[in-house]
Amino acid sequence: MTLFLEQLVNGISLGSLYALFGIGFGLVFATLGVLNVAHGAYASWAAILGYFSVDYFGVPFPAAVAIGVLGGGLIAVTVDQIGFQPLRGRKTGMLGALITSIAFLIILDSLAGMATNHQSWAFPSSSFPSGMVDLGLIRIPEMQIIIIVATLVCGGGIYALIQKTGIGAAMRAVGWNAEAAALSGVNPRIVILLTAFLAGATSGLAGVLGGAATSNISYMLGEGLLLKGFAAVVVGGFDDVRGTVIAGILLGICEVFVAQYLSTTYRDGFTYVLLLTFLVARPRGLFGSRDFMRA
Amino acid sequence: MEALLDFWYAYSATLAFGLVNSLFALSMYSVLSAGILSFTTVVFAAVGGFAAAQMMGTFGLPLWLAVVIAGLLGGLASAIIAALFLKLETHWMALASLALILISRVVVLNTPSLTGGVMGMVVPVRASVLELAVLLAIVSLVFFRLHKSWYGLAIRAVREDAAAASTMGVSARQIQMIAFLISGVVGGLAGAAMATTLQYISADTFYLGVAFTMIASTVLGGSFFWFGPIVGAFVFTALPTITQAVLPEIQDIAKGVVLLVIMIYLPRGLIDPRARGLRKAARQRQQSALNGSDAVEARPGSSTAGHAHD
Repeated sequence: MTLFLEQLVNGISLGSLYALFGIGFGLVFATLGVLNVAHGAYASWAAILGYFSVDYFGVPFPAAVAIGVLGGGLIAVTVDQIGFQPLRGRKTGMLGALITSIAFLIILDSLAGMATNHQSWAFPSSSFPSGMVDLGLIRIPEMQIIIIVATLVCGGGIYALIQKTGIGAAMRAVGWNAEAAALSGVNPRIVILLTAFLAGATSGLAGVLGGAATSNISYMLGEGLLLKGFAAVVVGGFDDVRGTVIAGILLGICEVFVAQYLSTTYRDGFTYVLLLTFLVARPRGLFGSRDFMRA
Repeated sequence: MEALLDFWYAYSATLAFGLVNSLFALSMYSVLSAGILSFTTVVFAAVGGFAAAQMMGTFGLPLWLAVVIAGLLGGLASAIIAALFLKLETHWMALASLALILISRVVVLNTPSLTGGVMGMVVPVRASVLELAVLLAIVSLVFFRLHKSWYGLAIRAVREDAAAASTMGVSARQIQMIAFLISGVVGGLAGAAMATTLQYISADTFYLGVAFTMIASTVLGGSFFWFGPIVGAFVFTALPTITQAVLPEIQDIAKGVVLLVIMIYLPRGLIDPRARGLRKAARQRQQSALNGSDAVEARPGSSTAGHAHD
């Protein structure tokens, strides 16, 4: 029973990382119509920036997280303005932005590889909350609690932002039809910048927290998050933050349980089969709206 | 002569990979020219690659027979996948094809009796550059003939406007099915070519890296004419080799930057038949402006129509 509960918490915290990462990925896809494969690189870079700021400047962990989040957001805005902005209005569809995001994936990944010397690093255990919290029946690492809380706060906050505020309405409007939104007084440029920053920042948060929790900071960090975050977004439905969070957490739990009770070899396979099943049978996901169309 | 031999030793590998990547890019182009963004070529190539490796390694079949079988099995795989995928909308198909690549890697890792599993497979036969060139020439000839055929015309119509094409009696579904089958056969051949060039294949050989390389090559070279993907594949393959000679540190970064610059400034790729057509039209306009004024009236209208189409 203890093992079951521990694994359940492990699954929830792993899934929270996928969800946190997936929120930004889905936001960019639904609002900007970009399938951004460079999204994982933001997470890698945020983790690397956080690690360097701890390692070289000895900043406390919250500051390192803030630096990672800010760094991820700024990189995302830069990539958007250089890589995606020139293609807008040219009707290259999904293909053009996909190619430039591949270009940025190559550039950012190889820069990250150079920055980390192609090695894997870890935060020194004294620099981040690495203790355990005793809950009577089980003991949970502090980092897992931080990750779960961060995901719930970010997920709830961004959901409220999109659904309840004027800025969110503008974001939805741009996602539906940028020209019509501009006609009714929305400045698409600001919405685009804000969306890109939010996406990069949440990806960065997932990168720093995940890098700290798994003691593994490398240029490869983003790739795993990207694949699983992508799955979470598809299963949950592209245009719904709630769906992404729930699907991400469910995927994390499934992965941990499949690895624990079936076999570790089926762990990734299970997620990807679920991903393909949803794409073929129910492309709008668990919570997606019926008529998601973005040319 | 010495220098020529040195050059050959240094760059024959690049040439071989350029030829292999051309096959990958042509397979990608086959579906892309029907208006479908699908990365399933990687899956077809995995089928072809491991099949060819088994044929030659376990059964000792000769190279060409193994290559033909790889192509056929790639085609078979594409028939199954196309039947499933053609029901999807275009975005979902692109995403589903990426998911399929992820799944096929897990399958390859977990079927060691067929694929060698985690260890991968050593391929005992090596294809020479000449053999690869012959293979690419045959495939190119097919694409050249197709481009001029009824199918070539129909596929361009489907890509530009599937609804309009269907009013002219061209079934988009049928054309896309054929495009998938061609993509599957060429993808299977590409996998076999990859296996016999690398002489070692594993789950990571046919994964996202090659998917990104082939879409980049195709779009870089131009996805509107069969020669474009070949040019793109060679540019994309040769580029790291060239930058490695100059600045080895940044070879991958240079690859990314070139891709970015070409996509932003030449979104239709290096080989673009329409640009050639527009240049020809501009020349004719100049000619007729010199000859007389009556032809000039009609021309500007047609050229603005061409731009509006963009």
